Amino acid sequence: MKATTAKKIRRIAPGRDGIGPGGSTLLEALKRNRQLFEQTGHYHGVKSLKLKSDNYLRYESLHARLRSSVVNAREMAKKISASPGVREVGESVVALYTPEGDSIALSTGIMVHVHTLSRFIQWMIEHDYETDPGIAPGDVFANNDPFISDVHPPDLMNVAPIFHDGELIAWVGTVAHELEIGGVMGGANQSTTAERFGQGLTVSAEKVAVNDVIRRDFLVRAQMNLRTPIYYILDEKAMVAACIEVREKVLEIVAEHGVDYYKQAIRSIIEEGRRAHLERMRLITVPGKYRSAAFSGHVFEGKVGASGLSTNCIVHIPLEMTIDRDAVLTIDYEGAGSKMWNPYNCPPSAMDGGFFVTLTQFVDFDGKVNDGCWYATKMILPPGSWANPMDEATCTSSAWGSLMPGFGCLQRMISRSFFARGFREEVFLGQVNTPIMEGGGISQYGGRFGAQNLECAAEGSGARGIMDGIDCGYVGWNPESDMGNVEVWEMAIPILYLGRRIWRDSPGAGKYRAGATFSSLLLIHKTPVYNLVSTIHSDKTFDNQGMCGGYPGPTARFQYVSRASNIRELIANRQPLPHVEGDPKSPDLQRLVKGDFETVDGVFLERPLRDGDLVQFFYNTGGGYGDPIERDPAAVQVDLDKGIQSLDIARRVYGVVANYNSASKLHGVDEDATRQAREQCRRDRAARAIPVKEWLAGQRERLLKQDFVREVKEMYNDVFGISPRWGREFRDFWNLPDDFTFKS
Amino acid sequence: MAGKALVLGIDAGGTMTDTFIVDEAGEFTVGKAATTPHDESVGFLESAADAMSYWQTDHKSVYPQLEVALYSGTTMLNTLLTRRGKNVGLVTTAGFEDDILMGRGMQSWTGYSYSDRIHAVTHVHPAALVERRNVYGVTERVDVFGEPIIPLYEHEVQAAAQELASNGVEAIVIHFLYSYLNPAHERRAHEIIQQALDRAGRKVPVYLGSDLRPVIRENSRLNAALIEAYAVGPVREQLHKVEESVQSRGYRYSLQTLLAYGGLCNIRYPRLHETLISGPVGGVMGARYISELTGMENIIVTDLGGTSFDIGTITRGYVPVDAEPVLARFKLNLPTIAMESIGAGAGSYVTVDPVTKKVQIGPGSAGSTPGPVCFGKGGKIATITDCDLLLGYLNPDYFLGGKQKLDKQAALDAVKEQVTSVIGVDVYTGSEAIVRMNEREARDAIRAVASARGLDTSQYYLFGYGGAGPLHLAGYCEGLDFRGVITFHFAAAFSAFGATTADYQHRYARSVPLALAAGADDKAKASVAQAINRTWEEMERAARDEMSADISRSQKIKFTHLAMIRYGGQLSDLEVVSPMARLRSARDVDRLIADWEDLYSKINSRVARYEQAGYQIFELGLLASVEKVKPRIERHRLGKSEPDKKARKGIRNIYWKGRWTPATMWEMETLKPGNRIKGPAIIEHPATTLIVPEGKRVEIDEYNFFWLK
Repeated sequence: MKATTAKKIRRIAPGRDGIGPGGSTLLEALKRNRQLFEQTGHYHGVKSLKLKSDNYLRYESLHARLRSSVVNAREMAKKISASPGVREVGESVVALYTPEGDSIALSTGIMVHVHTLSRFIQWMIEHDYETDPGIAPGDVFANNDPFISDVHPPDLMNVAPIFHDGELIAWVGTVAHELEIGGVMGGANQSTTAERFGQGLTVSAEKVAVNDVIRRDFLVRAQMNLRTPIYYILDEKAMVAACIEVREKVLEIVAEHGVDYYKQAIRSIIEEGRRAHLERMRLITVPGKYRSAAFSGHVFEGKVGASGLSTNCIVHIPLEMTIDRDAVLTIDYEGAGSKMWNPYNCPPSAMDGGFFVTLTQFVDFDGKVNDGCWYATKMILPPGSWANPMDEATCTSSAWGSLMPGFGCLQRMISRSFFARGFREEVFLGQVNTPIMEGGGISQYGGRFGAQNLECAAEGSGARGIMDGIDCGYVGWNPESDMGNVEVWEMAIPILYLGRRIWRDSPGAGKYRAGATFSSLLLIHKTPVYNLVSTIHSDKTFDNQGMCGGYPGPTARFQYVSRASNIRELIANRQPLPHVEGDPKSPDLQRLVKGDFETVDGVFLERPLRDGDLVQFFYNTGGGYGDPIERDPAAVQVDLDKGIQSLDIARRVYGVVANYNSASKLHGVDEDATRQAREQCRRDRAARAIPVKEWLAGQRERLLKQDFVREVKEMYNDVFGISPRWGREFRDFWNLPDDFTFKS
Repeated sequence: MAGKALVLGIDAGGTMTDTFIVDEAGEFTVGKAATTPHDESVGFLESAADAMSYWQTDHKSVYPQLEVALYSGTTMLNTLLTRRGKNVGLVTTAGFEDDILMGRGMQSWTGYSYSDRIHAVTHVHPAALVERRNVYGVTERVDVFGEPIIPLYEHEVQAAAQELASNGVEAIVIHFLYSYLNPAHERRAHEIIQQALDRAGRKVPVYLGSDLRPVIRENSRLNAALIEAYAVGPVREQLHKVEESVQSRGYRYSLQTLLAYGGLCNIRYPRLHETLISGPVGGVMGARYISELTGMENIIVTDLGGTSFDIGTITRGYVPVDAEPVLARFKLNLPTIAMESIGAGAGSYVTVDPVTKKVQIGPGSAGSTPGPVCFGKGGKIATITDCDLLLGYLNPDYFLGGKQKLDKQAALDAVKEQVTSVIGVDVYTGSEAIVRMNEREARDAIRAVASARGLDTSQYYLFGYGGAGPLHLAGYCEGLDFRGVITFHFAAAFSAFGATTADYQHRYARSVPLALAAGADDKAKASVAQAINRTWEEMERAARDEMSADISRSQKIKFTHLAMIRYGGQLSDLEVVSPMARLRSARDVDRLIADWEDLYSKINSRVARYEQAGYQIFELGLLASVEKVKPRIERHRLGKSEPDKKARKGIRNIYWKGRWTPATMWEMETLKPGNRIKGPAIIEHPATTLIVPEGKRVEIDEYNFFWLK
């Protein structure tokens, strides 16, 4: 199954009556749409926003109503869902598209899918779905195949055509993130499979409903192939219901405004989105070339049962951002490592997702949020890299593991650009990686289950340019972040929380620190078997940097596990139980509980967990902004009182000398000692500092001595192979021989 | 007054207290007085006396006649917003002590506009209501089946109790996971803590999550309990003072207040946090009453008072009730009439940043004490009201019908000195810019609500009320497209009016663990029916106990039985009204399910049905209501468009768009249905002023409503 198969599908005979605009086929319409943009530089050739200037209120009213139709449909869909992902933490989106698949208006939610749905619609058009299987009123098409268009397989998407007098005038699309998708281990993001074939149930651009009725065979397949089919089935019903709801509303609006006005207005709305994007870029950024890099590490070696996943790796994620004099933003991943036989690949549609979720949060949040900004930006994805694998057999189920550090680079660079232009309040080091608990087994109700625990969707964010990051309230993929209630998660998964608390000292330090994140300590409860796996998880490398002297966020590290524990005995004897990490040098789970304790790096699946075992899971947060020793000591004191920081870190990282008063349970800052400590810190830094030239020379020596761990060498050798250009730049920069490679 | 006075409604805002009195014929009168935050009963009595004066009567004859005296206000909301509540201690399940800081992630963005929800750099958590040092984790755990898995570690409770008895907390909340399924641990912890308090001789109210909101989702339950502990105490004291005052003047019953979902309840109601936003809710109730009367189906209501600007909506006659609302940025599981509020009231302070010279409106407000500078009651900081006076919008001799003289010179000095000379502009130009700025804030808030709820304003009528509503109505509606912009001659007391349209109503909800598998047999259905009946009976008993004090023997309580049903596995209920008060057979269960499924299909489309998953009923509810007399809004024959000469009061200059313009002055109460008045005009009422700018006109319709066109 290669991408080229597209060409084998029969093309529409020219001149045939189609269902598209003015009797054209959709394919003709799509080609024309692209031509118009290429020829005029304006979306659909719309050179003037006449509709807006002629009758502002009518035009704005139409847009408001189109947008309200998708916003309301999403709220309705949330109420139908059985999945804590959709209902509790809002993992869904609804959007309206032109006949050629450009988004006109979107609900809030997972803004990732603004353009993935576009690609899905366009894929069907390009593959002549108009002829076979046919596109008719009442049809709904589903897809979760990332090589057609998706970020990763858990994101099940539905699109439905909207017809008016026999002509397709719009598509409505919706996506819901599934908590269970079948696959090797149970859960959503399969992290233990090397190829596509183990990542779960794949629906590749299928017609799943006819005449507004979902096909029974589609539901039967879900019933038979999933561990917890109720999530999938009710989410599918919710999505189809949302499509119908939007369709009816759009037809009402069309009836009121007239179809001709509607058709003109949607083109204007997208062109306006394009212009608004460029205007804003002009206003708040500085043109130029920016570079950043991130590294995401994955430990697989020695993992029993991790089929095909036997090699550790570091994903090389370099990014160059260019803003040209016309404010056109181009991002280029040249130098990205090769496609991988692990779940961290990103097909182009996934990269679209990462790009859009960043743009909508940073630049295009106001006014007309739609595909207009797609037409004002460019993305370059090197063929054969993890960012464009060109191989449908590769696994993409944990695409976010590479996307988040990848677009974290973009967030930092665009933040630098805001800073350079003086918009410090827009600076945001938001994006961080999100380890997730996945798994399946036997539920507390006795049947089989599979579920992803999406409480990770409210980690700490990176810092902001004028204030701390968001504590326990941000995740890069969904600005409407939330962790949901424990009382709901425990309904879905056989666990009993012993604690869900702020992870002390987690925020990346800075004058403004990152948001605090949390950790969960779980007692496995009422199940004989629970295969727990973690995903989207970077080991060993920092994938979140700080800015302007801020420290990086903690890399999402290991988990603690205690098997065959004496927890029941402790409970019976009213002994102290672990709830938080405690002292990292002697974690409470190890100190208070007797059991087979281990610290696990990366995904773990050696043996299933069972009733009475314990797991502690840590979530991530981002980097800080500014030098920590410039942080207001009063802010450090507040963090101490809240338990976000420890006295030790306050002293060592922030240079704040404080004391704890056990009577008042508050901390006090010793101002003189703090001043001295900070002065000392500055003196120590000056003493340690060496000229950059010297440092570079030292690093070059390391390179020549090849003084790096194997994974680093393998990463660079791979990049030298896939990107000679990047290799040349690397060698030039470090003044290395032209044939320099690492010896394995 | 045509007959006996029956209902007295009072709405105490942050600045003014409004009264609305209805007699047995449905006729009404309104009054207004400054709110007296130290003792709200003072403002209550003054405002009521003002209203009575228009009927040429006084409290001696009115209070003994009253069947209902009801009081709604924003004290609780203001206490919460300004974080001036009680010092609360929290005892919670060990391992969840940080819930007060972590909240739910969503509390950092809910209620934001569409743009800000996406623009994540703007997201901020609300400040916690409890100091972290006052949170005590005690080891215990009940699981999803209600089974105690970790017993309550009583020694940990003892230790916490000892500290709580001596560390000065003024209220204590006990909140454990799954206490709605099994409250045993919460109750035992309460006993231990109560003993410690008794031993220490301390009287501290203790609140249990399982008593206050026995429904799933721990975060919402915790918020409800914390708000009850934090903000209700001060309110309850105020309400009792008001009740004593009116009873000492002859009122024979207990004082009522307004619940967030629009019913009336006795001030002794144990879950008074349900009245959190009762003031603004009154306005929405009133708008709904008018909506039913006139057939205006889509309404955006806006209430501009001295302290805040509140917005609500009615769509197709339906008042959106949010089952899991966010109030003051806290997520609750309390059915509430959906409202939004910003601090753009007319009493907002106007200040200038000394460094940046940026003009700042609010966040503080002068309230009624000291009030704006022009009140001459000691207010020193310039306010929007002072600017309004300078611009000629307010009549210095007719504020509150002349009872409050306004000092123009004092206002001029304050605005000039503190604001306009600092930024280097003429005092009138500056004043107008400030007023427009505040109106723009209000307009943006309307836009944000429309955007967040997905409403197209051109399909909606806008109601503008509140003491300062008519004054700024033209300003804050400018550039927005509505089907009509309407205000009322009783605009100043509109929320109080709305409260008088409410019935007595208590709402009860209880979690139950009931399930009906697909194809369940009659036996299973009968057993579910029995369990449902039992719960409804219990709730009816509770309703009778709670409501009997407020109603006469002749009045009957009407019960509406509710079931919150979902398909097996779903995470949201849909509330359905049971077609019968008791389920007597398996067929009755089928009817209940069928009614639910019909409703579900209407709301969510047929395609979302999933009978194969079976049904779950996790919550049952009961609405207990008792009808009461309501104000009557008469329909009049439209008269001539030319107003009576006696309505015309003269000419006053107003400053509008940078120049002084002569505006005709009219007496609002003298104008008649059918009259039309061209702007520029000022239409005055003792309690409010309507400004009609140049190019606009006002038409009075058959209900005596004022349309700004």
